[in-house]
Amino acid sequence: MGKRRVPRPWTAAVAATSAAAVLGAFAAFGAFGALASSAGAASSGKSGTIVAVGAENEYADVVSQIGGQYVRATAIMSNPNTDPHTFESSASVSRVVSAAQLVVQNGVGYDTFMTKIESASPSSSRKVIDVQHLLGLPDSTPNPHLWYKPTTMPAVAKAVARDLTAFQPDHAAYFQQNLQIFDASLAPYYQEMAGIKATFPDAAVATTEPVADYMLQASGIDNMTPWALQADIMNTTDPSPQDVSIQDALFTSKKVKVFVYNQQVTSSVTKAFYKLAQHEGIPVVGVYETMPTPGYDYQSWMLAEADAVYNALASGKSSPKL
Amino acid sequence: MGGFWSHVVEPGFFQSQTVQVALLVGGVVAAVSGVVGVLTVLRGQSFAGHALGDISATGGSGAFLLSINPLFGFLGMGLAAAGCMEAIGVRRVRGRDVATGIVLGAALGVAALFLYFDTTFHSTSGAAITVLFGSLFVVSTSTVPAIVACAAGAFAVVLLLYRPLLLSSIGEDVAAARGVPVRVIGALFILTMAITVALSAITIGAILSTALLIGPAATALRMTRRPVTAMVAAVAIGVAATWVGCLLAYDSFYWPPVQHGWPVSFCIVAVIFVSYLVVDSARWHRLRRANVPAGSQDPAAAAARPLHESSTHDAEVLGSPRTD
Repeated sequence: MGKRRVPRPWTAAVAATSAAAVLGAFAAFGAFGALASSAGAASSGKSGTIVAVGAENEYADVVSQIGGQYVRATAIMSNPNTDPHTFESSASVSRVVSAAQLVVQNGVGYDTFMTKIESASPSSSRKVIDVQHLLGLPDSTPNPHLWYKPTTMPAVAKAVARDLTAFQPDHAAYFQQNLQIFDASLAPYYQEMAGIKATFPDAAVATTEPVADYMLQASGIDNMTPWALQADIMNTTDPSPQDVSIQDALFTSKKVKVFVYNQQVTSSVTKAFYKLAQHEGIPVVGVYETMPTPGYDYQSWMLAEADAVYNALASGKSSPKL
Repeated sequence: MGGFWSHVVEPGFFQSQTVQVALLVGGVVAAVSGVVGVLTVLRGQSFAGHALGDISATGGSGAFLLSINPLFGFLGMGLAAAGCMEAIGVRRVRGRDVATGIVLGAALGVAALFLYFDTTFHSTSGAAITVLFGSLFVVSTSTVPAIVACAAGAFAVVLLLYRPLLLSSIGEDVAAARGVPVRVIGALFILTMAITVALSAITIGAILSTALLIGPAATALRMTRRPVTAMVAAVAIGVAATWVGCLLAYDSFYWPPVQHGWPVSFCIVAVIFVSYLVVDSARWHRLRRANVPAGSQDPAAAAARPLHESSTHDAEVLGSPRTD
């Protein structure tokens, strides 16, 4: 067999070059990582400031709306370009979470890493609001995107006000006032959903993933996409050709008025649906797992999404991005 | 009759566009894998083939990061790795596995990094599953022309270099003595292998790609030692296994426990593995009845020493997806 030998210096050169490239890459990413974490880390609070963490930035936003100047709220998941379902925790996340006095997390398996970090760094003074438990939902709840449920955030805001008051009883009135302001500010969002329900009863839509399903339900919308397909896309498992055919037919036979597209859980499957919907002239509404920032707070985000659905139904207007 | 067939082929199978694309892509890739696979087994380069598949995962996961078609990621990384392995000295039998293993380990490490970035900075979901285990049912139609073109290219190389490839597979010294540029041929072959493996990675995932490359080829070489016949048989087995796998995955929609389908990659690999077991045990029984020790009846037995070594390795490689 082969008797020729590759000269040694040559091999060494290849090895040295590739090692240098790998080290260079690490250095570049390392710098990037350091920047990102210094921007995101919670400072462990001056006296008088309650350190809070929201696993998702919509919860952190509500905490800071209720707590105002007495709270410093940090969000763990806030990048609108990532899929929170596949989020991987890191040491810096553990540091932020274990330093928090108040934690708000979604539950239903959406942010299990939070529970792990909390039990790894037990603290008797830390208060944890698990939204699933707050709403009394079972672990088997199929759709984890609880913040789209219209009843969720008022309940969360109330629990936040209660816990903040426990930390700082002197500011009870302040928290209570913020709670009332928050609850009142949800009215336009509720009106928009009621408007959809009244103007377009039982409007049929297709979705990729169940992210906004609770909002669609509350707006009296009929989601025609098979649940198994939504679950497959959410859980990133192989979709069945049968379900894909059903979804394709929803577009080609124009059975649906709007295609509600999760911009944070995308794959070649969702992109193919997107193309088909565009081709068939069906308006696309982009929805998100976490609050798009900057420019939105929880209320204005929900209102913008309900608005987008309304406009798509009313005039066929596409808003693939918020 | 109609009732029976509607259970074998559940309704809508041939009408589903997803299935049509899967059958086309799966068929083309299985065909080219069969041809290249037979040469890979004959040349004793099964491990290199497996390594190329794993290494191309780095390209696949990088492609998700760059938002380009994963096929080009698999291809680019596979070709680069093939060039690297060739340069480091994959031709030498001694130390060949080590060179391959070193490159493989480093590349998989980078793949892990890329997949981490995919999930942390990117909205692409399920990159890890798609890259490593693939799914014929998520191949986008826009990729089909590129897949067919790559397959045609790989076919063309094998067709043009068939004689010298075969000669250098049987013995590099003999081939060199007859004026075959062994080194160039070897380099061209490993690049062809990289293309084939990239196609296979798109079809059944980077980790499983070796099953499609080696499985049907090893099965075919259990049935015949004539290279051309083996290639035809490997193509037939590979295409049949891929199509039956698609059908099983389609039908599994109605099976427990999940009621929405088993992964198509699993179905394909399972069919390949079962067909290998069936052919191998049939051969064993035949040889035992004839009371001939395995291997000695083959006309090519004199040249076949490396073949048998590689065959046992193949069985290990094939078995691994099941235990994973």
